[in-house]
Amino acid sequence: MKPKVSETEFDAMVKQTGLPLSKEQTATLYDAYWMIEDMIARITTPMPIEIEPAHVFIPEVR
Amino acid sequence: MEPILTIAEAAKLIAAKKLSPVELAKDCIARMEALDDTLHAFILPTQDRALSDARAAETRMMAGALKGPLDGIPIGHKDIYCTAGIRTTGHSKQLQDNVPAKDAFTVAKWAEAGTVMMGKLATHEFAMGGPSFDLPWPPPRNPWNPEHFTGGSSSGTGAAVASGMVLGGSGSDTGGSIRNPAALCGLAGIKPTYGRVSRAGVLPLSQSMDHAGPLAWTVEDCAILLQAMAGYDPADPACADKPVPDYVSDIGKGVKGLRIGVVRHFFEKDNPVSPATRAGIDHALDVFEHLGAEISDVTLSPMADYHACGWLIIAAEAFAVHEPWLKTKFNDYGELLRDRLALGGFVRGSDYVQALRRRRLLCEELKTAMASYDILVSASQPTEAPKITEVGRWATIEKPSLSIPFNLTGYPAMSVCTGFGAGGLPVAIQLIAKPFAEQMLFQTAHAYEMAIGNRKRRPMMELAKAAE
Repeated sequence: MKPKVSETEFDAMVKQTGLPLSKEQTATLYDAYWMIEDMIARITTPMPIEIEPAHVFIPEVR
Repeated sequence: MEPILTIAEAAKLIAAKKLSPVELAKDCIARMEALDDTLHAFILPTQDRALSDARAAETRMMAGALKGPLDGIPIGHKDIYCTAGIRTTGHSKQLQDNVPAKDAFTVAKWAEAGTVMMGKLATHEFAMGGPSFDLPWPPPRNPWNPEHFTGGSSSGTGAAVASGMVLGGSGSDTGGSIRNPAALCGLAGIKPTYGRVSRAGVLPLSQSMDHAGPLAWTVEDCAILLQAMAGYDPADPACADKPVPDYVSDIGKGVKGLRIGVVRHFFEKDNPVSPATRAGIDHALDVFEHLGAEISDVTLSPMADYHACGWLIIAAEAFAVHEPWLKTKFNDYGELLRDRLALGGFVRGSDYVQALRRRRLLCEELKTAMASYDILVSASQPTEAPKITEVGRWATIEKPSLSIPFNLTGYPAMSVCTGFGAGGLPVAIQLIAKPFAEQMLFQTAHAYEMAIGNRKRRPMMELAKAAE
């Protein structure tokens, strides 16, 4: 699988992270980035706007 | 060396003054000296401390003043649990000289219960990067076959318990790190409800996904260990101020009349498991039915939805924890952790918040599904342990994880050995209960373990065969 973003766009994203990545490290992460894209796509399907009234995590949902 | 005892067996003998805690500790030390050059379970053995703890336990035994079933029991701590005056490294060069001033809450609780501390146990680097070969200490090996992976990240605890170098140990579970080594090393391991056990003094990875809990040879031993680990601690803001029930006294109640739901699509379709894993689950369901439980299938969202939501939260939170070092000491991490953490830098704030919103929906879904059940069943791991050299860089994220749904939702979940598959390596089942219903998990898992009686086969025999 290949990421949807181009390598140039990915280079800009790397810069934003502030990480001192070598070209080889950047290439390794670029090859894996499609998994992040896939995960983000899965969780950003439409949700009711009121679904999370507070960012407090309680396993015993009340 | 003597046969390896369970915690429950050793506790009975100590209570009857038929077993010396000092001799028990010496036996574990002898096993460690014989095996750990092969297994690499320990980062730092603490034999002197162990013998000192054991002598104190023996004094209490002789005075009839034992503290309870853990008094005189040899244990080890995953090396992300802070130990006062004893190096705590996270299995990382970043902390290789770190000596905490204070015990983690749970370390102190086990010490108060009279445990004998055998040492600090190997882990994936900061509970995420492993198995790695470029760290100051090597990765642990699976006692059932040292060419194979222990699972992680509580990998040293898995190897040490399975080989009898300790009788129980601490682990942490952010996406499966107690249940995975329990499954691959043939143990019992419980990830308690989020909030049941304090994480204060445990090096964090992902604050809203991290859980602390025990691994041991049997379900009953896990119950004994959790009993002494659980409880309110205001130093962990997520810790629940709820009484801790008696996990041990009701453990033999059985499963008659319990309603068990099988999340079949998780292990048949979403991440299909090996034939032996599948056979183990099928057999376990037959056992439960024979013992009087009602079995039916239950359907949840695709496991990939839970996985995506959970992994994005872990990635973002772990990146935030490690960002200062990632920017200043990037190459002091092992390669695997460095890459896995760096990926979290590409998760935007809005992605993280969307994951939290999705988490609420998935918690609601699980709550609704569990209303009709006492226990859910899934697989714990998809396959038997792979060769340690064949675990991929992205192994934790490239396929939907069977364990992460219950980190995401905070529900208590336990891995129990069902038998042995390819290469004589262990396979396991995962049981899940409602929040704070750990006693239901223990009762169900114990009934199964008693019915199949597979706790006599130890990897020591396999190791001995290999040495011949």
